[in-house]
Amino acid sequence: METNSEIVSSKSKKEIAITVKNLHVTYRGLKKTSIRASWTKLGSRVELFRALKGVSFEVEKGKILGIIGKNGSGKSTMLRAIAGIFSPDEGKIDLHGNTISLLSIGVGFNKKLTGKENIYLSGMLLGFSEEQIREKEQEIIDFADIGKFMYKPVKTYSSGMYSKLAFAITAILETDIMLIDEVLSVGDAQFKAKSYNKMKELISDENRTVLIVSHNLDTIASLCDEVLWLNDGNLMEIGPAEEILPRYREFMGQQDPEKES
Amino acid sequence: MKKFFNNIKKYYKYAIYSAKAELKSEVADSYLNWLWWIIEPVCFMLIYTFVFGVVFDNNEKYFASFVFIGLTAWEFFNRMITGSVKLIINNRDLVTKVYIPKYILLLSKSFTYLFKMGISLLICLVLMICQRVPFSWTMLLAIPIFVVLYVLTFGMGMILMHFGVTLNDLSNLTNIGLKMVFYLSGVFYNIQKKLKKHPSLVVLLLKVNPIAFIMNELRVVLLEGNLPHLGLLGIWGLIGVVLCMIGVHVIHKNENSYAKVI
Repeated sequence: METNSEIVSSKSKKEIAITVKNLHVTYRGLKKTSIRASWTKLGSRVELFRALKGVSFEVEKGKILGIIGKNGSGKSTMLRAIAGIFSPDEGKIDLHGNTISLLSIGVGFNKKLTGKENIYLSGMLLGFSEEQIREKEQEIIDFADIGKFMYKPVKTYSSGMYSKLAFAITAILETDIMLIDEVLSVGDAQFKAKSYNKMKELISDENRTVLIVSHNLDTIASLCDEVLWLNDGNLMEIGPAEEILPRYREFMGQQDPEKES
Repeated sequence: MKKFFNNIKKYYKYAIYSAKAELKSEVADSYLNWLWWIIEPVCFMLIYTFVFGVVFDNNEKYFASFVFIGLTAWEFFNRMITGSVKLIINNRDLVTKVYIPKYILLLSKSFTYLFKMGISLLICLVLMICQRVPFSWTMLLAIPIFVVLYVLTFGMGMILMHFGVTLNDLSNLTNIGLKMVFYLSGVFYNIQKKLKKHPSLVVLLLKVNPIAFIMNELRVVLLEGNLPHLGLLGIWGLIGVVLCMIGVHVIHKNENSYAKVI
């Protein structure tokens, strides 16, 4: 925590990395239907699900923001909207020209190809050029630490090896803003520690802004400067971790004791 | 449209790489590997040549080449249409986790199909040499015909890809449609000769159905050594460009909602 607060105090000019204004996301618009259904149900009303109801906040460059809230409160929806995977129905998201990636496991993997080929496939999908990946290739191979399996088809991997490789790719190919959705526990105990440390190293970089979604409050407490608390698509509170977390714990305790982690 | 070209520039390398990856994975674990890319079209050609050439007694000149040219164009069209309908849903993992312009998926798919069409075309040329089809420089005019075919199917593919996301049973519909078009396009018969008694029907089938038209023009160019119908070709090319523009527009407008639906 001390190192984090040092970073914050050293950055006095307060450069903003992400601005989210009045963000609304509604699951509606395109509704899955069949041809028959579209005849019989013509004119019937489509049900709406409002996942986010007007959330606004700003994140300073270099900060680590934890996002908490119970299941279905819109956390992942918000990350995906910020990552540009789908557009907000209302409101604006401004990334101030930063590159962004949603840290997710094994995007675009082709299971019949070797691990090495998948590094390129996944990396190019995340918007990196072939040369950039080539530079980082060895680092990824070293970090994933799966030995000769790197040159074997991914379908022969154990699930642990699979996530190790996937984590290595996304962790080593870095972007200005990283969005992390519950991926901190991957692989065996040894790799878990390693990835946790790597994660810590990655996110404590002064120039990197990080948004973490997690149900593990200890992780949030130890990694994040600030915490954003979502409840049913509304912003409850945003502020320093040590202030928000106790109140959140208390709130969750009242609501549903067995869900508390 | 500018956004479209920027995106193509940014992602075409990925499209190529992923197309290569898909082709590689296709042959990675089959016994005869890439030989299937040759065996399959040759076998189809033999079947159609036997059934429609011998059994139904067709005396078309260079009948094997005739069938093969038709099949080459048809297979590309068929694969593109069938492939595009379910494309977004089949790439669910990708679409819900990372932003990528959705037509890049189609572009990448089309590269794999183009590659297969290329192989098919090479076999076709070998076959034509074996059957001693006279060579002429007008054969090169097949290239613009293929370009028209590509633009046209790419446009249709984008539009189908969009509707395939929300309409569950669109693939059933396209299957029926494709079957119909297959038999009406004259893959294994000459529309003009077979339907001599119904000239209006010939006009209808050849002018309204772009695939039949393209197949016919390819045969005119490659087997008869004559000039294609440039005017109509231009019109279909233009329609193709318009379809592409509509497709790009529709996808830009809706692609960010796909992740919510699938």
